[in-house]
Amino acid sequence: MIVLILAITSVIIIIANSIYAIPSLVAYSSIGRFGEVGYYVSQPMPGVPPGLLVRVFLINGSVVEPVNAFIDVYANAPSGIVHVAMGYSSTLIVPFSNVNWQYVINKWVLLGLLGVSPSDYETSMLIFITYMKGNESWILPLVIPYNVAWAIENSRYIVVNAFINVNSIKPSGVVPAMPGTTSVNLQIPSNHSGYTTYNCNLNPPKPLPETTFKPEIACLGFNGSLPIAWATWDKDVIKNDSGLEIVLTIDFWGAIRWDAMATGYGDIGTSYSALENVFLGYSVVLSSQVTRSSPEYQVTQPGSLYWYYGGATWAIVNYTVWFVNSTMGTYHLSNATVFEVLYVPPNDHYIGMILDYGNGPVSLLYYLASRHYLEYPSSIVNYAAFIYTGQEYLYECNGPVTNISIAYAIHLGGLSTVYGLGPAQLGTTLTDLSLGSEGLGMPPPQASLSLTGVSLELSNITTGMNLYVSVINASAIYGLPAFGFILNATTFYGNPTSVTCKYGKVTRIG
Amino acid sequence: MNTKSLFWFFVGFVFVSFASSLWLLLSSVLTVMPIPLPYWLLYTPGNIVAAGAIVMALMLALYAYLGVALVINGLRRGFVPITMVFAFIIGIALLLARLAIPALVILVIAYVMLIGTYVVIISIATSRAAKALWEAAAMVLALIPPMLMIGGLIVIDYVRYMAITEQAMTIIASAIEAWKLGVGGG
Repeated sequence: MIVLILAITSVIIIIANSIYAIPSLVAYSSIGRFGEVGYYVSQPMPGVPPGLLVRVFLINGSVVEPVNAFIDVYANAPSGIVHVAMGYSSTLIVPFSNVNWQYVINKWVLLGLLGVSPSDYETSMLIFITYMKGNESWILPLVIPYNVAWAIENSRYIVVNAFINVNSIKPSGVVPAMPGTTSVNLQIPSNHSGYTTYNCNLNPPKPLPETTFKPEIACLGFNGSLPIAWATWDKDVIKNDSGLEIVLTIDFWGAIRWDAMATGYGDIGTSYSALENVFLGYSVVLSSQVTRSSPEYQVTQPGSLYWYYGGATWAIVNYTVWFVNSTMGTYHLSNATVFEVLYVPPNDHYIGMILDYGNGPVSLLYYLASRHYLEYPSSIVNYAAFIYTGQEYLYECNGPVTNISIAYAIHLGGLSTVYGLGPAQLGTTLTDLSLGSEGLGMPPPQASLSLTGVSLELSNITTGMNLYVSVINASAIYGLPAFGFILNATTFYGNPTSVTCKYGKVTRIG
Repeated sequence: MNTKSLFWFFVGFVFVSFASSLWLLLSSVLTVMPIPLPYWLLYTPGNIVAAGAIVMALMLALYAYLGVALVINGLRRGFVPITMVFAFIIGIALLLARLAIPALVILVIAYVMLIGTYVVIISIATSRAAKALWEAAAMVLALIPPMLMIGGLIVIDYVRYMAITEQAMTIIASAIEAWKLGVGGG
C-alpha cells in the first residue's frame, strides 16, 4: 500500500513540474565565474512573490557556503539607472511589486507606447555585492538580463547565485577615508559631437537609507550613436596611399546582445539585447587632394568611417562603497566601474553611417579604451600589411585576407550560438537522466543563432603602397563583437617594437 | 520463480522514482524561497545533472539486480537488462572520454536493450494492469527516437509529455506489481 502511495505522489510531483505548478527552470545562464542566473516559471508560491532573488555564496578552496554580504540592486531604465533595493544578508528578495522597480518598468512601458510591446524590451538589473572580512573587501558586479513583460505579468522567479571567490577575485584593502573626498571623477572631454552626456543616475521614488553601508553611484550617460564597426586612417595614409578605396560592410542578424563590461572583471552579463537584421556597406576614397571629378565620398583628412546605432543610450557606472562606523569612522571598501548599453532603438531604421574627424563616438571610444581597457595588449591585433620593398608584398599576420579580383577583404566576426535551456529540455532533465524514463532521450539544448559580421574591403592597392592594417577588438568596451580597423602608412598602430606574423602568409602582388 | 527478488526490484523502482521526484519538489520550491540554502540543494542545471546521475546509477543498479535475479532463476532473458546496464556504462565512459561516435553507437544499443528490458518485464509481470502499462510505456519509449529524428526540435514539447507519460506509467506499473507480489507472494 505504501508503495502505491509513494508511486502516486511521484507521479503527481512529475505532473506538477511539467505544468509549472511548482518552480520549473526554463532558462539559465552563467556569468563567467562570478555567478549564474536561473529563470523559473511557476504558480506564485505562498508568501514568496515573483521577482528577483539574490543568493551570495563564498567560495574558498572547495568550500561553497552561503555568506552575508551587502547586496545592492539597481535597475536599468531606457536612459539611466535606478536604485531598487539593498540589504545585508546571504539572500535578498526584490519582488516585481517593489516601488522603485515599478518606477523603472513604467519608464519602459511609456517608451513602448509608440507601438513596441513590453516583451520586446530585454533589459537588465545591475547588482553589486560587497563582502567584507577583516580589513579586506571583495566587490562583485553582476548584470542580470530580464524581460520587461515578466515584471508586468508577475510571472517569473529570477534566482541569482553570486560567487565571491576569495581565491580568484582580488581583494581590496579597507582604508580609512572621508566619503566624497576620493570619489572617482567620470568627466570626459566635452568637445565631442554625435552624442550628449548626462547624469544617468535617476532618482527613485523612495531612496533607501543605509547608515553603515554607503554606496555612491556615479553614472555617466551617453545619448547618441553607438559604434558598430569603423575604419580609421591617419594623415600618412592620406598622403602616401592616395587613391585607396575602402568599403566597410556590416552584417548583423539575430538576437544581438550587448554585454556589460567591468574593469578588472570583463564580461559580467548581458545588459541589453534586441533582434536585428542589417546588411549594409559604404565606401570612401582616401585622397590627398580633392580632384575636380571627385565623388562625394572622397575624404582628404584623417578620420574614421563608422556604422552606428542612432538614438542609443549607454552608461559608465562607477560604484564606490564606504563603511561607516559610528566610533571608528568611515572606511573606503572598494569601487567597480561598469560599462553598459541601456537601450538601443528597436528595428533597423536607426542604423547610420558617418565620418568622424576626431570628435565623434569613435574618437570617444579610443579615449575610453585608453582609460579603461587598452592595458590589455591583446585587444589590438597587427592584422595584415601591404609592404613595398622593391616589390609589393601582402603580409597576412593574424588571419586571412581574401583577394577578390582587384580588392582585398578582411572578414571578422561570424556566427555565434547562444545556448539557452528551453522549457522542453529542463522540464524533463532530471527524469530523462533516470533510466526509469529516457536515458537517451535528452534533447539537445535550444540554441539561438546570431551573426555579427564586419568586413573591410581595400581596393586600388598599387605597387609602391605601404599600408598597415591593425584590428581593434572593442568587444571589451561595447560588450558586443565590435571591430575597428586602423590604417597606417608607416607601421602598425601603436608603433610596436616587433611584429610577429603568427598567421605567417606572405604573397607577392602587383 | 522467486517472486521475492522481483518484488524488491519493483519496490526499489518506486522508491528511487519517489526519492528523485521528492528532490525535484523540495529543491525547486526551496530555490525560490528567500532562505539561505546549501549550494547542492539549489535547482540549478549542475545540481539537476548531479541528481540525475545519482538516479541513473541507482536505476542501473536496479536493472542489474533484476537481470541477475532472472538469470539465477534460470531465465536467460535476464541477460537483456545486464547487457543494457553494461552498454550504458560503456557508452557513458566513451562519452566522458570524448569519443562521440563510438559512444553514440553503444548508447543506441543500450537504448534498444532498454526497450528489450521493458519487454522482459512485461513477460514476467503477473498483474494484467501492470503488463498493460509496461506495454504502453515500451511503445512510447520506442516511438520517441523516430519522432525526434523526423520532427527535430519542433516536436520537443510532445516528446516531453510522452516522456512524462511514459515515466508515470512505469512508476504506477511497478507499484501495482510490487503491491501484487507483496500481497500474493510475500
